[in-house]
Amino acid sequence: MAYMILIFLLCSCNPALHIAKQYYTKHEKILSAIEKDYKTQYQRTPFAVAFTDNSFRYISLEIITDSIKYIDEFEVGENRFNDTMTKYAMDMHAVHNLIDKMRAVKCIWINMLDYYVEEQKNAMVFIAIKPLGMTNPFTNKKYYILTFFSKPQSFDKDGDLLARKKHKRKREVNGDVVRRINDKVCYTISDRFR
Amino acid sequence: MIIVVLFFMHNTMIKKFRLFPLKWLNSLLRYAIILFCFCIPVQRIEAAVYTNADTTPLSTRKMAIDYMNNIGTVPQSTWWPAVQPALFIQNIKNNILHPLRIYAGAGTDFCSYSAFSYLILKDNPLGYARFMMAIYVDGNAVMGKVEFNPSKGVRKAAGMLRFKGRLDISPADQLWFLVLADEFKGYLNMFDRNYHAGGESNLWASTNYAKFNRMVGRLLNYRIESKGSDLVRPIIPDLYGYLAERLKTGIVVLFVNNSFLYKKNHTLLKLGLPTHFIILQDLSIADNIITITYWDYGCKTRRQMTPRFLSKILFGVSHCTIKTNHEN
Repeated sequence: MAYMILIFLLCSCNPALHIAKQYYTKHEKILSAIEKDYKTQYQRTPFAVAFTDNSFRYISLEIITDSIKYIDEFEVGENRFNDTMTKYAMDMHAVHNLIDKMRAVKCIWINMLDYYVEEQKNAMVFIAIKPLGMTNPFTNKKYYILTFFSKPQSFDKDGDLLARKKHKRKREVNGDVVRRINDKVCYTISDRFR
Repeated sequence: MIIVVLFFMHNTMIKKFRLFPLKWLNSLLRYAIILFCFCIPVQRIEAAVYTNADTTPLSTRKMAIDYMNNIGTVPQSTWWPAVQPALFIQNIKNNILHPLRIYAGAGTDFCSYSAFSYLILKDNPLGYARFMMAIYVDGNAVMGKVEFNPSKGVRKAAGMLRFKGRLDISPADQLWFLVLADEFKGYLNMFDRNYHAGGESNLWASTNYAKFNRMVGRLLNYRIESKGSDLVRPIIPDLYGYLAERLKTGIVVLFVNNSFLYKKNHTLLKLGLPTHFIILQDLSIADNIITITYWDYGCKTRRQMTPRFLSKILFGVSHCTIKTNHEN
């Protein structure tokens, strides 16, 4: 009984936020490779990928063109998936490679997110990770969010991302305040992966 | 309905049969009826039609752009301190020229207002431009049957919303969405009636199905045939045929469950409630798979789904048609 209470208390007080940072540190190499590969492929054809199931077998592919966004669901490796990639001039081999890397680190969603600084448009790579195994049952914040900026960012003394230099206002990414890992990478935990 | 019947039965028993009146039960039933009338969101399960004798105001994109080009220099509005006139006018012009690009903002509850914007920008862009200029310069304006007198909180906030993607640099859109949310209230806004920081992402800005239809009817004077509600899915036997038929004759707005349309988490227990408005653009069916093209979040989206999935996410269908002279 005492052990159970102890586990309960430990779970309730679990500072899951820093685990997201640890996760990045542990998988830094592969996560950086995912960001780099995604950026390269995005320049060729803008797209976003989500795994729609816990077993990482099914994906939802969003292909963004000037006039319309196409959303399709596939089983990874399905012919239809390859045909779609060919149709939209995507590098099939590179995208499969990216998906394999995503699966390896339980990355459930990747997309390019626009943000604005002084009326200027910028873009960041937004990655969501769904860690498997035991998570705190008393929180709905179960996704590790990592944001990769192309330029160094400004932070306050607590490490929270600021809207811009010499500003006190904290920047929100997808509704959440994010914290510093390094000058270009931030993290948070969230209740949604997109 | 049960509560209403109980109430009348209770009163009848007291009056006719002179039974001992249970005062507490009487008051409880009264409260229940008030709650029922104001809070229960099951509205217009069957088709409801707004019928007005007058016509839907129409104009062209060219008329709106000519109007905007003839405005000349506009000074900074004292009503909207954070909205710069140059950016404001440019934003309105962009909306008139590219109505599909109007963006409700990331993480906001403005989707109903952006769906509404689609309607006005499609059929009456001049009305939109005139309204926007009037409200910017005078601080109040009239559209359809409604006079807008925006609250102080909204006037301060317009132009200041940040971290919402493209909405950050669209002061006219911020003003427009905030003004609409400020003016129109439904039962969802009952406990959050005044704007406060962050109101754009919570109940203050939320829209229930009846509120959306009321907005379209009162401001734009469309004929609206609506089927659906906030809690119960409409029973439409041939959903594909119904939607395809409506699409031929007017604009079709769908009220859908967003958590199924755009999966955002892996929660098993999801509230099966609609929270999102989309504009149906195109529909086709092959091998029992429906290919649907719709507009939301500033762009068109095409995706495939089974008729069952469509039926699962769909809670409301509003068919908006133009009222013309010959109908009067």
